[in-house]
Amino acid sequence: MDQTSSRQGNMLYDWPGEGCESSLKFLDAAQLGLQPYDVAIVGAGVVGCALAYRLSQFKLRVLLVDKNFDVGEGSSKGNSAIVHTGFDATPGSLESKLVTQASRQWPALAEKLKIPYDSCGAVLLAIDDEQQAQLPSIHKKALANSVDDVRLLMASEVRELEANAPEYVRGGLLVPRESIADPFASSIAFAEVALANGVDLLLGASIAAVENPGGTVKTLVTSSEKRITTRILVNAAGLGSRALADCYGGQPFDINPRRGQFLIFDKFSRPLIGRILLPVPTPQTKGVLVIPTIFGNLIAGPTAEDLPLDSHVATCTTSEGLQQVLVGATRLFPRLQGQPVIGTYAGARCNCAQGSYLIRYNDPHPGVLTVTGIRSTGFTSSPALADHLIQGLADNCELKLEEKPDAIDSRPERAWPGWWRRPFENTELVKRKPDYGRIICACENVSRGEIIDALESPLKPRTLDAVKRRTRVLMGRCQAFECLVPVAEIISSHCRIPLEIVTKNGPGSELLKT
Amino acid sequence: MNSIEKAKVLVIGAGPAGIGVAIGLARRRIKPVILIDRRERVGGVPSLYKKKPGGVPTFVLWTQGRLIFGQQIAERLADKLRASEVEVWLQSQVIEISPGQKKATLVNPSRGRFQVSAEAVVLTCGARERTPVERGWINGSRPGGVLFTKNMLDLVDQHEVHVACTPAILGSDLIAHAAAAKLRFAGTADAVMMDRSPRPDCSFPARFYFGRWANPHYEGGAREVTVVGGRSVSAVTPAESAPVRCDLLMICGDLVPNSELALMGNLRVDLASRRVAIRSDYQLSEPGWFAAGNILGDYHGAEWCYFNGRRVAGQVAKYLRRPEARD
Repeated sequence: MDQTSSRQGNMLYDWPGEGCESSLKFLDAAQLGLQPYDVAIVGAGVVGCALAYRLSQFKLRVLLVDKNFDVGEGSSKGNSAIVHTGFDATPGSLESKLVTQASRQWPALAEKLKIPYDSCGAVLLAIDDEQQAQLPSIHKKALANSVDDVRLLMASEVRELEANAPEYVRGGLLVPRESIADPFASSIAFAEVALANGVDLLLGASIAAVENPGGTVKTLVTSSEKRITTRILVNAAGLGSRALADCYGGQPFDINPRRGQFLIFDKFSRPLIGRILLPVPTPQTKGVLVIPTIFGNLIAGPTAEDLPLDSHVATCTTSEGLQQVLVGATRLFPRLQGQPVIGTYAGARCNCAQGSYLIRYNDPHPGVLTVTGIRSTGFTSSPALADHLIQGLADNCELKLEEKPDAIDSRPERAWPGWWRRPFENTELVKRKPDYGRIICACENVSRGEIIDALESPLKPRTLDAVKRRTRVLMGRCQAFECLVPVAEIISSHCRIPLEIVTKNGPGSELLKT
Repeated sequence: MNSIEKAKVLVIGAGPAGIGVAIGLARRRIKPVILIDRRERVGGVPSLYKKKPGGVPTFVLWTQGRLIFGQQIAERLADKLRASEVEVWLQSQVIEISPGQKKATLVNPSRGRFQVSAEAVVLTCGARERTPVERGWINGSRPGGVLFTKNMLDLVDQHEVHVACTPAILGSDLIAHAAAAKLRFAGTADAVMMDRSPRPDCSFPARFYFGRWANPHYEGGAREVTVVGGRSVSAVTPAESAPVRCDLLMICGDLVPNSELALMGNLRVDLASRRVAIRSDYQLSEPGWFAAGNILGDYHGAEWCYFNGRRVAGQVAKYLRRPEARD
């Protein structure tokens, strides 16, 4: 395959059974061409996708592979969706540098990639004298992190900015550029542009072994026993990075899931706050935040619970954890008391005992890059981290960076770009395509036309969870009471999959056992 | 901006209550009455329960003292509508209401987004089953194989999917027991049913009736339960108890009103129960806005809802006849 051509990459699923059309199935390694890849990225979370996006600007043969049946289905889908300024990072750390850099890049990047983004800002609230006394040092730390637009606030100023702030607030800190974005759309946008530029995307493929890791060309062996060759292997597999590192004999590191549970409030709670509300952090934890979402809800969280690597409950909610969130959130913002909770979720961060942002080139063999411990700021730092890793690959692994003149770096215009643009607002569009006026998900007002557009979008999602993250179906207050089967019916008829076999997130998660 | 459609009365939700309101108004020669529903047919929840030979009738026609399938109730109601002058708009979703201006914003496939104004509006949006999060005692993972009764009806009744599962049911009211019976009829094993109360939240006569088809094993007093399963549900574990193995987890009954439109439109709604605040004449917190049926919050069967709708129609008619209206 000609790596200089502007042909779109292959979009394939390693999918046993009938859950997706045969034209999308990865049946033979030859479908990906017989030449070794220049770079194979294992892990299509936001970091892997951002790396694929940036690499796709160069004349390189790139593969992005993930064991899940959609991009961004690990830690990248279970976070606070905050794009940090880095005001509270450890000054001088790599994390701090990358977060601050990326923070400045995000508004333009969000525009180019059509990622819903809102620079709503954040207010740190001091709710007692002890916390109030800490504000100056937090301010100083922000300045040390080059976040110089933060401002100390008096209690009256806090209340001017946030009318519903508690009466007992002593003061605060304004962080004007702390922002919120759509984390799902981010992984998807990075991957779509990468695909358009020729990156191959293979989903549902678990890498079970790495043969010849010390050779110039390494062989990745999927659990379905297909072999894929590559010169450079990037391990961006998040919580799966230890298991993958064991396949190639990478140097030791200890990772574990740090679970964060969240509460989701209904849309009519949204007007209660204007900005992200943060507590004064303790040495152990950042605390429980109250955060507006780009989707129009409020969320509160997270907890910070360290679990063992082999835990089965890293993304499960518990009543104790949710209670902790509620207590923390209502102490910070008492007006939240009594607001109905319509959803919960638990995400797992990749915590590394050896420190965050553990990056090892030629680990232990030339051409193997291990990236792990991207714990709390991966979403934010992803574009800057991608550039940093590419530079590192050039410096350490002889990666040749020749720009591809016809590569795109923005998401092309489409009739339906995503959930944030409701086609029914355009009467002409509905007249042409009545399906845009057939509302399937009443909670989020999503039409049949949009669901079909999602199914036809470049990454060709085929699971309910993948469709929901693109359209907002199944994510409203009724939690799919109304639309679960109607959405499954659309997937079934459009993709010619038997209805009962439509899955939540891949084989094994079918609607019904028959 | 498109011209605004005008109605005398707008009825939002064509379940038994909405049909009752519409018929009640039509019989009083009030028109135009526009009855709206987001689904592709009228009949609301009863229309989901299809008539099957040997199947489980789950609705009671008290006026005739017999049991009947939901589909049959829906068909009778549809017949009444057809014989009336009520205008029925299907596949039409109300996305917003403006109580002060007596307007509603709708979306449908033929017109896209447009507005309707009326002299009176009746919310007959019914109720839905409470989500696991809303119930507050269900936590754990989010696997496949977890369904509301409504989802099961969509799959099994509307699509005739055969279900060879081992179900567990969370909830123990009438709807849960009907679901247990229907599942058994569709090919599952008998379900384990769990709820917080020590005894099932369903009258003995109803349980006796459904006992013809199914005998769910009841585990009461569940303080909280944890859903277990990776891709697919494998068990549900009550606190301090052994896991109950299952490969289908049903979230049944425990209804909550569909009062979102009212909440978004700033009509008075009790946040905790989601019930709309009504006066004795069924008017809501803004004049000219009414509610009928299960959106009111005390859950009743289809026949009750229909007659409640008829009754509220009388109140709407009275409102339309008020002295200020005649000017």
